[in-house]
Amino acid sequence: MNEQLKRRLAFLGILIVGLFAALFTRAWYLQVLTSEELAERALSNYVEIVITQPTRGRILDRHGVVLADNIRSGVITVNQSRYAPGQTDFVLEQLSELINIPVATLKSRLQDQQTHPLAAKVVATGLDEYGLLRVSELSLPGVEAKWVMSRVYPQNEIASHIVGYVGAMSQGQQDRLLQSGYLPSERVGKSGIEQIFEPDLHGQPGRTELEVDSTGRVHRILSQTSATPGSDVYLSIDADLQAATESYLRQGLIAARKTVSEDSGFFFPAIGGAAVVMDLRNGDVLAMASHPTYDPNWLVAGITTLEYQSVFENPYAPGALNNRAVQGLYSPGSVFKLITALAGLEARLISPRAAYYDVGYFQIPDKYGCTGRCTFYNADKAPLGIVDLSSAITRSSDAYFYKVAHDLYWIRGDEQWAIQDMAQLLGFGSQSGVQLPFEKHGRIGDGDVKKALFEAKPDAYNPYGESDQWLPGDNINTGIGQGFVSVTPIQLANAYAAFANGGTLFSPNIVEKVVSRTEDRFGTSVIDFDPRIQRVAEFPEGSGVVREGLHGVASKARRGTAWRAFEGYDATGYAVAGKTGTAQAEGRNPVLQRKKEDSAVFVAWAPRHDPRYVVAVVMEEAGFGGEAAAPVARRIFEALRAYEQRWPDPQVAFIPPQPECPEIPEALRGYQAFTSYVPEGCPWGIQVPRANTAEDVDGDGIPDLEERN
Amino acid sequence: MNLPLRKELRSPLRYADYSLGLVAMLLAAMGVALNYSSTWRVLEFNGQDPATYAKRQILFVIIGIAIMIGATFLDYRLYRDFANQAYLVVMLALLGVLFFGVERNGARAWYELPGLTFQIQPAEFAKVAVVVALAAFVADKDGHLRLVTLGNAFLMLAVPLGLIYLQPDLGTMLVFVAIGMGVLLVAGAQIRHIAITTLVGVLVVVGMFNSDDLGGPEILRQTQEDRLTAFLDPTFDLQGASYNINQSQIAIGAGGIRGQGWLQGTQTNLNLVPEQETDFIFTALGEEFGFVGVSVLLLLYAYMLARIWFITRSSNDLFGTFACVGALSMFTFQIFQNIGMTMGITPITGIPLPFLSHGGSSTVVAFGLIGLVINISARRHLA
Repeated sequence: MNEQLKRRLAFLGILIVGLFAALFTRAWYLQVLTSEELAERALSNYVEIVITQPTRGRILDRHGVVLADNIRSGVITVNQSRYAPGQTDFVLEQLSELINIPVATLKSRLQDQQTHPLAAKVVATGLDEYGLLRVSELSLPGVEAKWVMSRVYPQNEIASHIVGYVGAMSQGQQDRLLQSGYLPSERVGKSGIEQIFEPDLHGQPGRTELEVDSTGRVHRILSQTSATPGSDVYLSIDADLQAATESYLRQGLIAARKTVSEDSGFFFPAIGGAAVVMDLRNGDVLAMASHPTYDPNWLVAGITTLEYQSVFENPYAPGALNNRAVQGLYSPGSVFKLITALAGLEARLISPRAAYYDVGYFQIPDKYGCTGRCTFYNADKAPLGIVDLSSAITRSSDAYFYKVAHDLYWIRGDEQWAIQDMAQLLGFGSQSGVQLPFEKHGRIGDGDVKKALFEAKPDAYNPYGESDQWLPGDNINTGIGQGFVSVTPIQLANAYAAFANGGTLFSPNIVEKVVSRTEDRFGTSVIDFDPRIQRVAEFPEGSGVVREGLHGVASKARRGTAWRAFEGYDATGYAVAGKTGTAQAEGRNPVLQRKKEDSAVFVAWAPRHDPRYVVAVVMEEAGFGGEAAAPVARRIFEALRAYEQRWPDPQVAFIPPQPECPEIPEALRGYQAFTSYVPEGCPWGIQVPRANTAEDVDGDGIPDLEERN
Repeated sequence: MNLPLRKELRSPLRYADYSLGLVAMLLAAMGVALNYSSTWRVLEFNGQDPATYAKRQILFVIIGIAIMIGATFLDYRLYRDFANQAYLVVMLALLGVLFFGVERNGARAWYELPGLTFQIQPAEFAKVAVVVALAAFVADKDGHLRLVTLGNAFLMLAVPLGLIYLQPDLGTMLVFVAIGMGVLLVAGAQIRHIAITTLVGVLVVVGMFNSDDLGGPEILRQTQEDRLTAFLDPTFDLQGASYNINQSQIAIGAGGIRGQGWLQGTQTNLNLVPEQETDFIFTALGEEFGFVGVSVLLLLYAYMLARIWFITRSSNDLFGTFACVGALSMFTFQIFQNIGMTMGITPITGIPLPFLSHGGSSTVVAFGLIGLVINISARRHLA
């Protein structure tokens, strides 16, 4: 080994000695010189962040009735990390005695997977002061008894589908929400307004950073921001009207279950339904019912598995959590004839006053070379005799609209899809835009839809391998709202509202405003939902006749399909115009194992000449629209009349649609033959007595004397 | 009565330095104890066997001891013949890990073998291969390093450095730098050459640090930059990068002179120091055994390094000398860097503390290197 190598090695050795000296010195410094200070910091070295949950905003109806509120509720939490494994049993036994909850239940709540394994678990909720006192007197380690704010729905199941409910955050949301300041134990909106307006309702949590020692004593506050309460959400619904609507819908369904179906000979199952009440002047939803329903308190406070299954997994009342008014897809049946009629007028295919002989069926003429089904029967194969557009609507002549839809099929060019275009113009096939989650689009059958369905689900839609061409029969079925048409109840209400108000299609508002509750902006509204107009439709000439036909549905004795439901109805100033529908439902009832019964549909507005409210009722497997759904609507209209008296609403400025007045030479105006064609309200022709006069007590615009003929 | 034999003819194991092996095993025993104390609480809380980590570490130590004993018997000079092959194999392994390795903490540095509960870190084995290959290379040059030779040596280092940079693993890269610097310095590289390379190295590091600020690509990850910044300014981001530094110093300082006793350290038990069973194992020692324990550990390490230094000096074989220097540099750097980082005098880099940190590859490699040094000590009188 040469000298140079040795020198360098020595240098390396000295370097190592130096490094070790540094380590020793540093260890000496830390462990001897500054040990006391560091030991103290070890005791108090972590910052505890206390997050104060903001008060969640309330949900109220348009007049301030509280639908979702917060209450103080006593909870008991157990922090497992304070115990060695297996030592929690003793504590749980003690707790169980005090608060009368079985040990097994407490244990299962300790196993809760939704909160962090190290966080304290909630084992009991809803305690009163004495319960909390009893537990805190025991001063068990790791057991905490405290007040928390919890969500409560004071109106129980009223408007539950609209308001929604809160629940533990899902795995998917957790990361995002925790980052934006949520506590892991916090509950978030899972459905309805609670979900859509979660950011507004939640508010901003407060955050206090404390320097806390290992025994929990606070040494100092490092920083502090207080919580900002969430905003209140005011709905456009009225709680009383909502309650009435829900109860009428339920009663209607119960009544339907006591009715025997003529088709099958069984009682109607009437498993569910929906009803929508809208102000057609501005698109406000006044009530929206869906059946079967539930009490959101069950989901917040917790119910037993058995209770849960009986409500939410009940095969006889499926989909209790779904808001059928926006999520339910139904064939509209005859209520869709409004669309067909308007389409026929638009295409100038219908002469409103032309007579058509309804022989009880419609046969595709031979010259068209029919493929597939060629003969289409009326609902009960009953011939209605001579009808025109107005009476075809009033009496719901299928054959008339079969012919219209058939003839529209053979028009080539733009007009071929006249029904579909008119449906889309009135909002079918797309979301209405109401502020509720999970809204369905529905669909309006045309060639593309049929092709897509046949391709996607050949088993369900095309079991016999038929052609996917759009056939005359498809258009005919579409014309009476069957086949490839499916709509939501809110779309029905919205479309009829647009027709009744003269063509303005709104995006319905179910929320009126969001009102801040922060200190500096208390009571001022953050968001105002003004009427949102989607589009304004121009209706073709002759739509007055359609209107006339709809007027007759509820009032023309023995003619109108819903007249029996409105027998004895006090129509003074509140006459109803609407359309019934009895829609065949596809498929089989999974529980009863037989073909599904028809859905009953009824859509109407009132008052007839000064339209203000539209009501849509859909009842699944409940029979005829005129027999099952119309009575429900009738009671809702009665409730609406009471509602208007209680809450006179002068703010809505609205001009009812003006009738179309055809040009008739002055010389001819006095003659009966011409004047009968002139719509009421025109400056010439028969001056129809307005509603509430001696001649027209029911207010339908037709003198009562004439009606009784 | 034994006849006096010529040194060459006696069994070389007569001259073997067994005390090194003993010290290594003592250190490993401390490591097992500390592995247990820094993990039992969390494991028990999670309902697992509290000794899971300790048991695994015992397994690693047993494998390590077996390898150490095995490495002692075969004449180390044979290793020289396979130095290049070993180097090549390990480089391939380093290359492979970039494609087939598993990712942990953002670094792709481990092979996962089916059926095993632990992973293999090729970079650890690369340390041995580089020590041996570099020693062989320098010994070939007979200790006369010209600039060209130095360049070749740097190339030998640059390959593993580049591959580990791609994982990336800053700490292990620095270990290779330390090995290279140690061996080349002792081997007789010109001071000015070393100085120039150091200057270039410093410039490269500064460039890496600021390349993204100067508009270039981001070479150092933000976490790495943060850790180094935190080292320079511990008040920077108290809950983030400085957290480790602060917590580990608090833990060590809280130990005081006598420590809080085994399994009694609050920082250790409450898991307040992250990575406590691996890179920050020294904090468990500091908190639970205090300055006394730290001194014992440092003295054991000092004894170990001193023995290696003497063996280096007394070896008659240049290859043996440089292999020892490599091992010496590696151990020194790892010990100083690791303990220094826990005490806040060096920046935080992920380097295991030899024999103490939990981990199969590092424990086995440390024992293997000690085996190599014992081997050299046994044959130091042979030329």
